[in-house]
Amino acid sequence: MLVAGVDVGSTQTKAVVMTGDHEILGRGLCPTGAQLAEAGHTAFSLALGETSFSEPDVAFVVGTGYGRFNISFGDAQVTEISCHARGAVHLFPNTRSVLDIGGQDTKAIKVTSDGQVIDFNMNDKCAAGTGRFLGAASDALEIPLGELGPLAMTAKNPVQMTTTCTVFAESEILGWLAKGRRVEDVVMGVHHSIATRSVALLRRAGIEPEVTFTGGVTRNSAMVEMVSQFVGSPVNTNEESHYCGAIGAALYALDQVLTGASAERGMPI
Amino acid sequence: MEPHNVAIRPALSRAGNTREASRALMSDWWTQLGEADATAAPVANTFVMGSLAEVLNAFDIPMMFPEIAALQTAVKGKSMDYLLAAEDIGYSPDICGYVKVDIGLHNTGREHPLGKYPKPAMVVSSNMCNTYIKWSETWERQYGCPVFVLDLPGWRGTGFEYSSTSETFRNDVKYVEGQIRDLIDLASQVSGKKFDIDKLREILGRVNRMSELYQAILAMNKNRPAPFNALTEGINYMGIANILRGQPEGVEFMETALAELEERVAHGVGAVPDERFRLLLVGTACYTNFREFVGMFERWKGVFVASEYMSFAGGGIDRGVRYDLDRPIESLAEQILITAQPSMSGIFFSHEWQARMAEEYDIDGICYHGVKSCRTTAAGLPDAREWLLNNANVPGLFIQSDLVDSRLWAEAQMRNRIDAFFESLQSRRVQAGV
Repeated sequence: MLVAGVDVGSTQTKAVVMTGDHEILGRGLCPTGAQLAEAGHTAFSLALGETSFSEPDVAFVVGTGYGRFNISFGDAQVTEISCHARGAVHLFPNTRSVLDIGGQDTKAIKVTSDGQVIDFNMNDKCAAGTGRFLGAASDALEIPLGELGPLAMTAKNPVQMTTTCTVFAESEILGWLAKGRRVEDVVMGVHHSIATRSVALLRRAGIEPEVTFTGGVTRNSAMVEMVSQFVGSPVNTNEESHYCGAIGAALYALDQVLTGASAERGMPI
Repeated sequence: MEPHNVAIRPALSRAGNTREASRALMSDWWTQLGEADATAAPVANTFVMGSLAEVLNAFDIPMMFPEIAALQTAVKGKSMDYLLAAEDIGYSPDICGYVKVDIGLHNTGREHPLGKYPKPAMVVSSNMCNTYIKWSETWERQYGCPVFVLDLPGWRGTGFEYSSTSETFRNDVKYVEGQIRDLIDLASQVSGKKFDIDKLREILGRVNRMSELYQAILAMNKNRPAPFNALTEGINYMGIANILRGQPEGVEFMETALAELEERVAHGVGAVPDERFRLLLVGTACYTNFREFVGMFERWKGVFVASEYMSFAGGGIDRGVRYDLDRPIESLAEQILITAQPSMSGIFFSHEWQARMAEEYDIDGICYHGVKSCRTTAAGLPDAREWLLNNANVPGLFIQSDLVDSRLWAEAQMRNRIDAFFESLQSRRVQAGV
């Protein structure tokens, strides 16, 4: 028996196909773009492509992320707040605080031992402190996103970036370069800025160990380092952290199948 | 396609159609204001907090409540026209949306979607909101009308307690009573009518009755299911409580509303079919996207059983106004001092009120809606939210948009937070084995 979770985020869409024993058989990742339904299906197909199964073999699909309602093949929707909480506790059972830095949202979530949300805080009306801030730096410096983390780790004297606006970050970056500061110091300044804002949200929710860091930004080693530094202890991440929302969605799908619950199509679980 | 439809409200009962009645009364209010404007009869601009409607009614001076008029432009989908008109002449996007709608109306021909927006002949303002006084000055400068500013002494205690026998309180009463007498003189001058204390006494008696009824209406929602949604019908009750404060039609409306709710309770009719979650709203609704806003809660079968808005913007009548008709002016001063204080000091003490409401109304969660263009009401909400969670185990949702500025409405973000909140409420139930 198979289930799937599809996380249509603001910048990337992730999908996982999971067995009844919680084994992840396949993962799919693609840019979200403007066609949300198509992105969801592409990621789902990519995940299925890593298995020997096809769509009819998947008993239940839960959609999450901003585009969750566009997943036409989905059976139910759950928000990414609940999915990241559930996924984080699944990946790291001692998790009590979750920090998810996504493309446009940063979420700080307090969770129970079984992955239920106790409380959450999110950024509002402003994407400073989210993955978009890194995207702006990548664009301004013409450095691929994946290279920012390693470059930042070589910084010796990071600059102090303001934490006010993602859009203005570009001109601020150029301003620092014009003053003769080294690229790696500017890049580390960007990481510092994001971590400051993100961990402030986490503090607001209340930092309770263990802290698990989720979302695409976990692939950035400098950001993991900075977040750990601000939290005051190492944060949990692994190679599945990027898919945490989709994993949580798949776990909710599994609940539905195992409990025999028959969620009305399109209804929140 | 939207997977959920907004719940269809239950049919109203034999006791009368309150929603239609409130519409008709609002329409009459606009007609009255339009007639006053056409005949150059004096109109007073006043506010929902500290309106002193009792005094103005004693001189038959029609009252314009610009906050009510502003929210109506948003419900009608017209608020942006006025906001932009105000911004065009230099008002910042950060200024109170209600103020800018009003400024826009006064500078674009005074055509409100529901009627003629009259020129004020006088203004009754107060220090209950830190924007009121500067707002009033815009009318003073534009029309040369006198502005009366009621100065209410602030709370000097450490909690929501006010000893009505203390020397401090008695001194405050004298101070406010003197101001009310000044207002009586001003209203007499503007209206050209003599002050009739017996007329004031009658008005105060009707406010007493309205307050009793309003309190009884609010208490109806202690029932399960809650017979009215504080976010929708509650706004109607509050609107009438303001525009017809102390008027016979106001008393009659409240009696009809209460009878209707009693009948709903007797028949087990809830405002939201199959009520699942009972909520308290702190802040206001977003009027530009009112239906969507309400729908985001109703799709989870969540009903707002109470609202802080129905308290602080209801002129204090939820707190039990009890005028002593034997000493009307002094009593008016006393009651306004007592009922105004929670609104004035809400930033410091509202969490206590919220905790009490959560217990009395068996509330599952609190929605804190921060208004972007009103930092005064939005400040302190995250702190209150944390306090309620940590000290009363009442979870809270914090969201932000605006009263009348549709540029601050982000549906996807709003919905995401609301859905996540309900998911967490649902999880709590599962964990509690409910």
